[in-house]
Amino acid sequence: MSKVRRYEVTAAGDFASVLAVLTDHVGLQLVSLEEVERSWVDTAAGTLAQTDTTLEFRTPKGEGTASLTWAADGRVLVHDSCVANSVPVQVGDLPESAAFARLARLIDGESLVLGPTVNSQIAVLACLDDEDKTTARFVFDRSETLEGIALPMLLEIIPLRGYDSEAEAIEKLVRRSVALSESATPMKALVKNAIGTRANSSGLSTEMSAASAWHVVLQQLTKSITDSFSGVLSGNDPEDLHAFRVAVRRIRTLLQDGGDIIDPESRDRFRHEYRWLGDITTPTRDADVHLLEFPELVASLPQAQRDDLAPFNEVLIRHRNECQSSMVTELRSIRRAEFGSAWLEFLSDEDAWTGCGELSDEPVLRVVIRRVEKAHRELVKNGGKITKKSPAISLHELRKEGKRLRYLLECFGPLFDQEALATILRPLRDLQDVLGEFQDTEVQGEALFELAGELATTDDRPALVAIGGVVEQLGVRGSTARNEFSKVFGRFDDRKVQRAMNRLEVTKSSGKKKR
Amino acid sequence: MKVLATYNIKGGVGKTATAVNLAHVAAAEGNRVLVWDLDPQGAATFYFRVKPKVKGGGKAIVRGSIELGDAIKATDFDNLDLVPADFSYRHLDLWLDDAKKPLARIRRALLQVSHEYDYIFLDCPPSISLTSESVFRAADALLVPTIPTTLSLRTYEQLDRFVEENPDMVRELKILGFFSMVDRHKRLHRRFMTELRTAHPEMLEGTIPNSTDIERMGVHREPIGSYGKGSRAARSYESLWSEIQTRL
Repeated sequence: MSKVRRYEVTAAGDFASVLAVLTDHVGLQLVSLEEVERSWVDTAAGTLAQTDTTLEFRTPKGEGTASLTWAADGRVLVHDSCVANSVPVQVGDLPESAAFARLARLIDGESLVLGPTVNSQIAVLACLDDEDKTTARFVFDRSETLEGIALPMLLEIIPLRGYDSEAEAIEKLVRRSVALSESATPMKALVKNAIGTRANSSGLSTEMSAASAWHVVLQQLTKSITDSFSGVLSGNDPEDLHAFRVAVRRIRTLLQDGGDIIDPESRDRFRHEYRWLGDITTPTRDADVHLLEFPELVASLPQAQRDDLAPFNEVLIRHRNECQSSMVTELRSIRRAEFGSAWLEFLSDEDAWTGCGELSDEPVLRVVIRRVEKAHRELVKNGGKITKKSPAISLHELRKEGKRLRYLLECFGPLFDQEALATILRPLRDLQDVLGEFQDTEVQGEALFELAGELATTDDRPALVAIGGVVEQLGVRGSTARNEFSKVFGRFDDRKVQRAMNRLEVTKSSGKKKR
Repeated sequence: MKVLATYNIKGGVGKTATAVNLAHVAAAEGNRVLVWDLDPQGAATFYFRVKPKVKGGGKAIVRGSIELGDAIKATDFDNLDLVPADFSYRHLDLWLDDAKKPLARIRRALLQVSHEYDYIFLDCPPSISLTSESVFRAADALLVPTIPTTLSLRTYEQLDRFVEENPDMVRELKILGFFSMVDRHKRLHRRFMTELRTAHPEMLEGTIPNSTDIERMGVHREPIGSYGKGSRAARSYESLWSEIQTRL
């Protein structure tokens, strides 16, 4: 299948006149013409860019609904209208479909960060054969930044599979009719270059003070909590609780690492309260995980034992409902309401964010890089001490340290050199996955045994035996994870990662890395 | 990858409309979908406006001298591709008969592209022949559109018997029958539906109505979800697809 061909339109004339040549002279069929504001969205670590895909959010000028398009090199993987007319931030904001579910798995619970935004006129044209069948698609694109900087007009030619020769023929005709020069740069990259990599729509910039940057990120995370709150209370979708807990954990990391930046009294109070908020949601999340993973665990048993476990599934559902109910009571408590209001008041009080700590007015990049380096050093040091004989608790502690580093990198991701950031995050995530698997299998095994106690009262022996089989499976998974630890830790404690740590900072004038 | 074959021993029951419309629904959900039009009449190929010609000939695919991937044509819809029909497919039985391990040929061809697709729909010609037996071997499920009339019921039961009597050939194959071209105003249709559902409770709940909207596929040369989005017929394919996914 031929690749997408990309040209910069160098012809004199405006968008309309070039479009007229393409339709009237070349004979392309106009499929759609729209004026939109569009933004590219990605995780802070650039997960989509690493997989050579883009996620584009479009809002039409005038009437119409916003849409989201996930594409690979110009080819649409999925396109759908957005339920809410706002940029998706969490996995739960994505439209429901098989492809967006794939995207959700790819970004693995990460928040999405708004990237560059432009105003665009986009025409989609088709080359048709004598059956009126499309043989090649053309995307003609004129964009300008929100500040009014016009970008070169781009024409993309997307051959359809099985129609390469037809696409080549029409490409020749287009090149004879419109002045074009070959370009390897897609619009997203042109926009990024025009806007500059240092300023970004995430609201963060390297020139900010540490306190302002902490403030911006905490506001964004608070929005994630607010957005998922009603879903957490309804308990219909485990993803809401997951998103809620990720935001809580990130806020806790920022508070933990906010010494000398945030007002100390407020910091202490909210650290305590966010710890409580995390704790009250843990049993429900654990119960969600039991329920989500149980079918897979059961599937590994022989058929006869699978049937024996039917009563236990009911126990799990009942347990999950009890946890949900207790959690909702806590979330609706006076404590939670008072803490929530105090937190919002703290965030909206501009005075609370100036001169409240020794480092408040320091440039954010300097402060955050020092904290990242410290977290990295500790992770490497403590990970290096782990041997096959180390107790499980040392791996659990290491996981917490890994989370701290990961959240600092992800929360302030837009400030860093993106290539260096990706080099660090990839092995760090793999390490966290293995540590997470180890801890989850331990916690799950213990919890299942405890819940199995309910069955013991009914003397359901076959079910108890089958649960023994499930716990055994968890034990096997846990051992596998433990055995993988040294390998994945070795990939993280690597020169490449260390070099990337030194390249996180980008110099102000040239965009080249220093240090 | 799941392979779904629209099949019925009897012709004119809505096999092609089922393959084309379900494939379109699946692709619109973001699945990567391929339709292989195995029927020399080439109706699915016609609906997608593709020329009914396989580069190198259908025989070359069956023999393995060209890869299935080389015969694939993108349709006008995102994520939805087609292996067009070729009039030479009328000789498919003969080619298979000449080949070694004929029953594995279609499966083997599909394996070459299995990494590229989530679902592959095989639109099969009517009859029980070597071609259909190869399809049974290749498919994970047979989607069997059935008109609620005496003859259709008879052929459904023939197929059911065949599957029962040939467990080695069909292996894990699921038979997912559903009523097609249903006219609920006809008492006879209602009666046969009740009878067949009683005899075969495994039949799908979803039904496809007898609708002029579906007949207009030939005029528009598109799946109904493209020109008749939101129509009763289009919605019936959407809910049938939801149900099929739960049964796979």
